[in-house]
Amino acid sequence: MTDRPDVLARITAKHTEALRRGFRAWPEMGFPPPTLGDLRWTPDLILSNWQQAESGKLPGNGLESARGASKGGFDVLEFGFLPEAQWLADPESVDTSLELNRRPYDPSVRIPIPWYGAGMSFGSVSEQVMLSRAMAAERWDTFTSTGEGGYPDSLAPYSRHVITQIATGLFGVREETIQRARIVEIKYAQGAKPGLGGHLLGDKSTLAVARMRESVPWVSLFSPFPFHSVYSVEDHRKHVDWLKTINPSALVVVKVSTPTDIDMVAVGSYHAGAHILQIDGSYGGTGAAPEIAKKNIAMPVELAIPRVHRYLLEEGVRDELVLMASGGIRTADDVAKAVALGADGVVLGTAELVALGCTRCRNCERGRGCPFGLTTTDPELSLLIDPAWGAERISNLYRAMQVRLRTILSRLGLPRLADLRGRTDLLRYRSASNGRKE
Amino acid sequence: MSYRRYSIPTQPAPNSAPHPNRFRVKVRKLKLAELLLREAVHYRLDLPVVLSRPCVYGVFSGPVGGFMPREHLCVGCLRCSVEFPNVVRIHPNPERLGLGDSYLDPDTVDTLLYEAASGRVPVRGAGYAGGFGGDGWDGMWTDMSEIVRPTRDGIHGREYISTEVFLGSRPKFLRFDSFGRSIGERPHGLSLPIPILFDLPPLTARLERALTALVAAAEVLETLVVLPLGLVRERGVQSAAIVPLVEPARAHEMISLGWRPRMVELDGWDPAAFQALVAGLPDTLIGVRLPFGEDLLPLIEQGASAFHLTADYHGRTSAGFVLEAIRSTHSSLVEQGRREQVTLLGSGGIVAAEHVPKAILCGLDAVGIELSPLIALQARLLGEALNPDRAPLELPAFEAAWAKQRLVNLVASWRDQLLEILGAMGLREVRRLRGEMGRAMFQHELEREAFASIPGYGEHHD
Repeated sequence: MTDRPDVLARITAKHTEALRRGFRAWPEMGFPPPTLGDLRWTPDLILSNWQQAESGKLPGNGLESARGASKGGFDVLEFGFLPEAQWLADPESVDTSLELNRRPYDPSVRIPIPWYGAGMSFGSVSEQVMLSRAMAAERWDTFTSTGEGGYPDSLAPYSRHVITQIATGLFGVREETIQRARIVEIKYAQGAKPGLGGHLLGDKSTLAVARMRESVPWVSLFSPFPFHSVYSVEDHRKHVDWLKTINPSALVVVKVSTPTDIDMVAVGSYHAGAHILQIDGSYGGTGAAPEIAKKNIAMPVELAIPRVHRYLLEEGVRDELVLMASGGIRTADDVAKAVALGADGVVLGTAELVALGCTRCRNCERGRGCPFGLTTTDPELSLLIDPAWGAERISNLYRAMQVRLRTILSRLGLPRLADLRGRTDLLRYRSASNGRKE
Repeated sequence: MSYRRYSIPTQPAPNSAPHPNRFRVKVRKLKLAELLLREAVHYRLDLPVVLSRPCVYGVFSGPVGGFMPREHLCVGCLRCSVEFPNVVRIHPNPERLGLGDSYLDPDTVDTLLYEAASGRVPVRGAGYAGGFGGDGWDGMWTDMSEIVRPTRDGIHGREYISTEVFLGSRPKFLRFDSFGRSIGERPHGLSLPIPILFDLPPLTARLERALTALVAAAEVLETLVVLPLGLVRERGVQSAAIVPLVEPARAHEMISLGWRPRMVELDGWDPAAFQALVAGLPDTLIGVRLPFGEDLLPLIEQGASAFHLTADYHGRTSAGFVLEAIRSTHSSLVEQGRREQVTLLGSGGIVAAEHVPKAILCGLDAVGIELSPLIALQARLLGEALNPDRAPLELPAFEAAWAKQRLVNLVASWRDQLLEILGAMGLREVRRLRGEMGRAMFQHELEREAFASIPGYGEHHD
């Protein structure tokens, strides 16, 4: 744009203001931008997310805010609510909290909402986005994850709400960042590219990113797959032990994808000592990935949750392992459906980016990166996100989601979210429709 | 023989004919002028601010900015539309929606063109954007392993994955004499470095240059191209890459040519013609081309060991969609104890990179592709493309070298995507993938397991 900081600031201010006007205006216009959205994130889902992020209230304007148009998974499930007379009188009193440590040892960590933020690395997203997420996590006493690109110093004040991720590339992993975390996440695989490792394109590996990752700038960075030190449950256990040696009080999240033997993987993680198992379904992901991987490798999370839940029950260890589902959780309704299928809670990624203005245009990897300043390391584009504004948007989304989640639970007559876990009998299978209210 | 790593020489070969962009940029000129005036006042003629555009891809960076948008640069990010909803709207380009046909959709066409232009694996951000599953190939997912790798070498291990396949017959075991020399029955067939060959192209278009490109690309790729014997003779094309498709009535003509191709395909089953070709071309693999759904056992008992089974271009067969037909053929041969004795090639309905591993996973040794290569050459379908005799299409003019490179790039991209799938599974050879049904996941099976206890599921799946 320009080399002069004062001019750049004025230009950024103009576009920031125009974008914020647009995020407010579009949901109220009665029709979506003609090319907005896709089958999973329909125009209505995007606009209703923006509306919630703006107001913190349930969406209106006739937008279909509960489901997409993918004709499968969450989009063909709904709840069979009780007659109105049997709804709970006070939805506000419904307990949506989630204990993240079900082991008889290590500290208790309870979050008031059954979700936290997914790993998105510094490099794949800007520092401003990371800060927005961390600030929102602090406000809601939940968590966000660093992803594998290191732990920017600006996140340190929020360390009680930041999960340190250790992934196969070990980019930016340091003893002090493991020691300062209440929860540490070992990422074995991710849903967007199951079995393929990570890939940060050279264009995004700026001086700051490379410094954080202790690598060379402007060079593509590959994270190998899998950990070359882990070829068995025993090796996996060794990893957990190593982590606990560095930070004995940390809870351990194990993040895996959804292969056909995901049930065995879950039990293996339990025996390795994980507190939380995050299963990341194949239809999620926020970063760049080969198209062939996104669509074809591993199973969607909706199909993996019941398999894992049942197997852990049969093995008698279900109540010692917290099961978090991710990879395509878009709405409070998705959260509730995931829990009804057998998860304890969920991990949000794309939904937070949509709240910050993502239009799902899928150009994250192109040129300077995201034109909305989200998945970019471009020093000018990333200024479009002010962390305080971003935190407010995400926080508002959380608030609206909690209201909707409480509404669902109260209409099912359930005073606690935990009562919903595995209650597939409360779900209804519906025929696929286009996702928009007639 | 020393080790040689197979690699495919890719280089950029951009589209040569115009291709419709995905988006149309519609700017309301009067509103734009109003906006500029308003901003000029608001920002007190701070021109860098007033004239700064919302597009980072240069759509409004021409000499007159938004008054003449450079539509071909639009990637549909919608930043302009979000910032200025009343001034600019981005619409889908109706011209693009007419690409392909009811099976090979516009998105597949765009993907094929990208692959042919770049030779690279298509990569995009923000997760998957399509339907949950669907019919045919879309209702199948491939497995991955959390910990098993093809090798511990390299970044992902995929650098060492072999995509070589053997076509032909092999004895159950080899025998050697006391000097270590092979005796008894020996493998009879050929190896290809990739499990992809070019199958019979549509014969409805003026294909002279396309045929030349197919042959030249097959030579570079060290694979094969199936062409009718009559066409080969008429055009005088000669290449070790050509697999002549021989009608039974022309078997003796084939033998008398003195040409000894690596493989010949007999078009339909004819015992006499088959035996004549086997006897007349002893060093050539004689394959039999049949539609899916035929009983192969009697043919195997008469000596056939390589079958090329075909569906129509939409993957339809008498035994259902091609995916089901492959599974059923493969599993029948397994049950009959014959699968290891024969090679199964298959074609029809394989139009995207993901279809290759899925077809092999269901039981093929290698696949034939026929329509995708022509789309890579920017052929435009003019109606439903169903089979070689019924595929109305139009090919633009092109240079032979460009066309060859486009086809090489396409296959290179597909091979790299096959490596991604194999790498994710931890498989070191594509031969291990064949019929590995334990590594396949089918939507209807997983949904039954996951959702059967949900009220209403049965009503929709009885």
